[in-house]
Amino acid sequence: MGSKEGTFGGWVFRWEKRLTSSSQINVAIPFISIGLALLVGGLVILFLGFNPLSVYRSMFAHAFFSRFGLMDTAVKAIPLMLAGLGVALAFRMLLWNIGAEGQIYMGAYAASGVALSMPGAPAYIVLPVMLLAGMAAGAFWALLAGIPRAYFGANETIITLLLNYIAVFWVDHLVFGPWRDPGSLGFPITRAFSSAARLPSIAGTRIHLGLAIALALALLLYFILYHSRWGYEVRVIGESPGAARYAGMDIRRNIILVMLISGALAGIAGMTEISAIHGRLQPGFSPGYGYTAIIVASLAQMHPGYVVLVSFLLAGLLVGGFSMQIAGLPLAVVSMLQGAILFFLLGSSIFARYRLTVRRKELV
Amino acid sequence: MANVKGLNLKLVAVVVVLALAIVVTVMVRQAQQPDPVDVTTPLKVGFVFVGSIGDAGWTFAHNQARLQIENDLPWVETLFVESVPPGADFERVVREMIQQGATVIFGTSFGYMDFMVNLAQQYPNVKFMHATGFKTAPNLSTYFGRVEDPRFLAGMVAGLTTKTNRLGYVAAHPIPEVILGLNAFTLGARLVNPAATVQVVWTNVWFDPAKEREAAISLLDAGADVIGQHQDSPAVQQAAQERGAFGTGNNSDMRFMAPRATLTGPVWNWFPFYKTVLESVRAGTWTSTQHRWAMPDIVDLGPFNDALVPKPVQERVLAKRQEIIDDKFFVFTGPLKDQAGTVRVPAGTRMPVADMLSINWLVEGVIGTLPAR
Amino acid sequence: MSAGATLAMRKITKRFPGVLANDRVDFYAQHGEIHALLGENGAGKSTLMNILTGLYWPDEGEISIRGEVVNFRAPRDAVLQGVGMVHQHFRLVRSFTVAENITLGMRQEGFWWRPQVVEQKIATLAATYGMAVEPKAKIWQLSVGEQQRVEIMKMLYRGAQILILDEPTAVLTPQEVKELFRNLRQLAESGKTVIFITHKLHEVMAYADRITVLRNGRSVAVREKAETSIKELAHLMVGRELSPEISKPPNTNQQEILRLEGVCALNDRGLPSLRNVSLTVTKGEIIAFAGVAGNGQRELAEVVTGLRPITTGRFWLHGQDVTSCSARQLIDAGVGHIPEDRKGMGLVPNMAIMENAILKSYRDRSVCPGYWLDHKAIRQRAEQLVTAFGVKTATLDSPVRLMSGGNLQKLLLAREVSAGPDLIIAVYPVRGLDVAATEYIHQLLVEQRNQGTSILLVSEDLDEIFKLADRVAVIFEGQIMGILPIKQANLDEVGLMMAGARASEVALG
Repeated sequence: MGSKEGTFGGWVFRWEKRLTSSSQINVAIPFISIGLALLVGGLVILFLGFNPLSVYRSMFAHAFFSRFGLMDTAVKAIPLMLAGLGVALAFRMLLWNIGAEGQIYMGAYAASGVALSMPGAPAYIVLPVMLLAGMAAGAFWALLAGIPRAYFGANETIITLLLNYIAVFWVDHLVFGPWRDPGSLGFPITRAFSSAARLPSIAGTRIHLGLAIALALALLLYFILYHSRWGYEVRVIGESPGAARYAGMDIRRNIILVMLISGALAGIAGMTEISAIHGRLQPGFSPGYGYTAIIVASLAQMHPGYVVLVSFLLAGLLVGGFSMQIAGLPLAVVSMLQGAILFFLLGSSIFARYRLTVRRKELV
Repeated sequence: MANVKGLNLKLVAVVVVLALAIVVTVMVRQAQQPDPVDVTTPLKVGFVFVGSIGDAGWTFAHNQARLQIENDLPWVETLFVESVPPGADFERVVREMIQQGATVIFGTSFGYMDFMVNLAQQYPNVKFMHATGFKTAPNLSTYFGRVEDPRFLAGMVAGLTTKTNRLGYVAAHPIPEVILGLNAFTLGARLVNPAATVQVVWTNVWFDPAKEREAAISLLDAGADVIGQHQDSPAVQQAAQERGAFGTGNNSDMRFMAPRATLTGPVWNWFPFYKTVLESVRAGTWTSTQHRWAMPDIVDLGPFNDALVPKPVQERVLAKRQEIIDDKFFVFTGPLKDQAGTVRVPAGTRMPVADMLSINWLVEGVIGTLPAR
Repeated sequence: MSAGATLAMRKITKRFPGVLANDRVDFYAQHGEIHALLGENGAGKSTLMNILTGLYWPDEGEISIRGEVVNFRAPRDAVLQGVGMVHQHFRLVRSFTVAENITLGMRQEGFWWRPQVVEQKIATLAATYGMAVEPKAKIWQLSVGEQQRVEIMKMLYRGAQILILDEPTAVLTPQEVKELFRNLRQLAESGKTVIFITHKLHEVMAYADRITVLRNGRSVAVREKAETSIKELAHLMVGRELSPEISKPPNTNQQEILRLEGVCALNDRGLPSLRNVSLTVTKGEIIAFAGVAGNGQRELAEVVTGLRPITTGRFWLHGQDVTSCSARQLIDAGVGHIPEDRKGMGLVPNMAIMENAILKSYRDRSVCPGYWLDHKAIRQRAEQLVTAFGVKTATLDSPVRLMSGGNLQKLLLAREVSAGPDLIIAVYPVRGLDVAATEYIHQLLVEQRNQGTSILLVSEDLDEIFKLADRVAVIFEGQIMGILPIKQANLDEVGLMMAGARASEVALG
């Protein structure tokens, strides 16, 4: 019976656990928390001597209310969405795969391998092969944690985390060593991919085909989760492993399958990023997309539809951050504001589980 | 107890939504107002930095120059964004700067290269300046400085300071720029102290104070008493100070971070270069060029730490600096031997610039190898 | 009479979102009495007592103790006013001693731990109230009854004058129940107020002085024991007459359904929990496992449903060796399972009724013809279950965690029974349910039995066992102490066996 209370002036505040959490509350939470974050952030900005309205204007007006900005937001949202879907699926089954970053790197590695070894192949061959290779590599990387988890109960959180480092070092090794472009004067990059190996952009925009892939996969994942037999198993296992065992579900097999798909999705993120944006493998091509994907999945409450929404939201937040810098806001304030919004979003679930009661302090 | 009241979530929601609605309305209203167009449009220049400005290092030096531009060139207005990773983020930031009227873009990281090539193609009326790169276009220039020269001078100071004749060098990536700098440092040290050797440790990272510190400590443990660095943070200097050893800094003056260790170090001074470029843009004489400026304009040896470097040493090093500036001395003049003793540059000849820019071997006196070939 | 009451709760109202848990409840208790707070689950008993102990704030109403209005902001305030509660689930640290547990969290004891002083104090208290407790013993060494005594002692040590016990008999053997009320009587005689929460009518009649009945959040009656009867109390509590005895024709079928031979298994901690269990279940019989919770019942149920591996021994279903079959295979072979943990195992609390309805049958062609689920067919299936078994719910799409315990269990039973199993393992099937739901579930189980389904019933309520079972097997520390036809068993005998006596010894003694 968790209840905390505090006093302020003549009032007593107290958290009481809600007996039920309604779905309206769940829907309202992200909006309420963003609102709260903006209000608090606004106060801080004011305190620092900037005008909160113009700061917010530069943050959101560009990211969400301009043609160019929306495209930028979409481009940034693609890897977050793909990796976020993978993380959400794993989290759904209580598999704490925090290795999306490594899986992105391995996906990019395999896709690059294909692109570099098939310089003459036409796009309709090389792109699908890159996609499959990226998926396979991401899946393989996730399975390195999934199989020990399924058979020996090893802690997948630690394994996936450590595999992240290995993946990054592996790509470093390649671009500093065997895959280095001889014409790069020793700089750590591979040769540029042929134009056939570059994922095309969607008619007349800068948004690349990865968006279509990501949206299609989100839709597919939604249908699999909520309308297929296997999706039903995944949801039951995630909600209640005890009930799943009771219903005769094969948990071990599903751990492996889910990790495989989760890794494959992150692998696709690596492939699309390297093929559409960079056009060659180079270190640091992912500024932590795999870690941001964890935030995406948590905020989206592991629901594929919300992953799409939240990845746009977070992409906008990141894009807006640069806009705010151009508007003259120091990087530290931008980071603080982004942090505040995330903090409120993540912390907001408390409203779903507790309610605040207030009453006047009485003298006994 | 009628005063007991549950603060309904709905109430909170309504208040927040209302507040938000007001904020958004105001924002949209403001967003709709067109920005006032200044008739006497100043030259708008965008700087995109890969790191954070901080108070020392590569990005710091660039930003110092930017601040001086703001101060000294009233006809220039600057925009800048720090901590921009190469990739879609970089392209977006540049595009937004151009939308805001920037007509000259400075990108200060090698990783921006391909994206600058793309952008140059998309925005033919904007002048792009790429530091450290090697690809050009009709509206894309590259720029860099002969930083190996002050590194050579820093090596001289190190060679004259060491008691153990063992120098250390914390190096970032095994790429030509860094290899060239390491070789210059070694040549400088051995010019004044033929017994000196330079042990190198690679970190594979430009900026990571923890890693840089670890690398420095491993060198100090191995007996080095002066450490050079091709890294962006003062961590190496601080590690040396803790052990009572010495160091030479990098990119910007680092003496204030480790006043009892930092002897001197190569520093960037971008302002004269930036000024020249911007004046050429203003005059309409800008052309695509591969700039490779030398001391004293874009790069130089930083101020000496008078408490640690005796006057005679300072004078000897400054004399050599003048010889380099006057082109009476060229650092990579033969005979130059590699680690195996093979002569790579015959006696009396200067190493061709193209060879210097793609160097992949270490000079005699360096202890350690290149991590990958 | 309310004026002189030791404890008076007046017009207490407590609302939770969508629920009026207490509606202007009046409750008075005197010193020196044992007062039963009687009501079905969800009648508001626990809410009322949680308000009394400071866990909740009342929305309206006031509490006075010995004539003074009190205002508890936290449980600590209630303790300082001499109100102490013994919860159904004990709050003891198993690896600590009795003395350590008793003084745990007390500020008055000061910083330094002085065992001699504390132990002396406990010994004095124990002597005063005639309660045997050993201050130096570790909690894990104690029986459930002794642990309960420690909980009571904990409250006495804190100076409790008003002692509340929440369903205190749920985990005790009949002998331990007697011992408990002997202690409580002594406390009452020394001037304390004892309140116990229960829904068991015979307990109330046997041990209480006065009874307050709660129904649907209201106090409906206060009765002196001498002036009332089980029948009246039942009527007050449920609001209607109870249905008559369940008809149970004798079972003559001797066809073997399930046979266990020398089955041993480990518990979750890897310790032996089933030792050499052998028995045979025939078609159409209810065989009940009597025993105090934690003596291997759960493990037995899990073994028979394929959820727990056997270390040695074998078992057969319909004469076929199914020792190494998976849970899935046993489900397909016709084993239904009503697990102890409804929300953690039998149902998925956050999923809808629809989805819970197919937990066992989601692979059937009828609801999943290919790879995709047929939501129409699933809705139909769920609707059938809900209507046929009288599950009360507004919609099939709401998560089952919002349902009451009785409805949950009905849904669970509906699903298991509708699969047409040959054998149902029912573990504590009515635990925590109200009288009406209990009756319904009992009826349903007997109907299933009458139709030829065998039922392995695990229960710790001997009334239930004597009402439903054809045979009773008593389990103690993972061993079967004896199996008796219900007609030849009597309560005392089974109680002794639950405490570890062999059937042969009981018969001799």
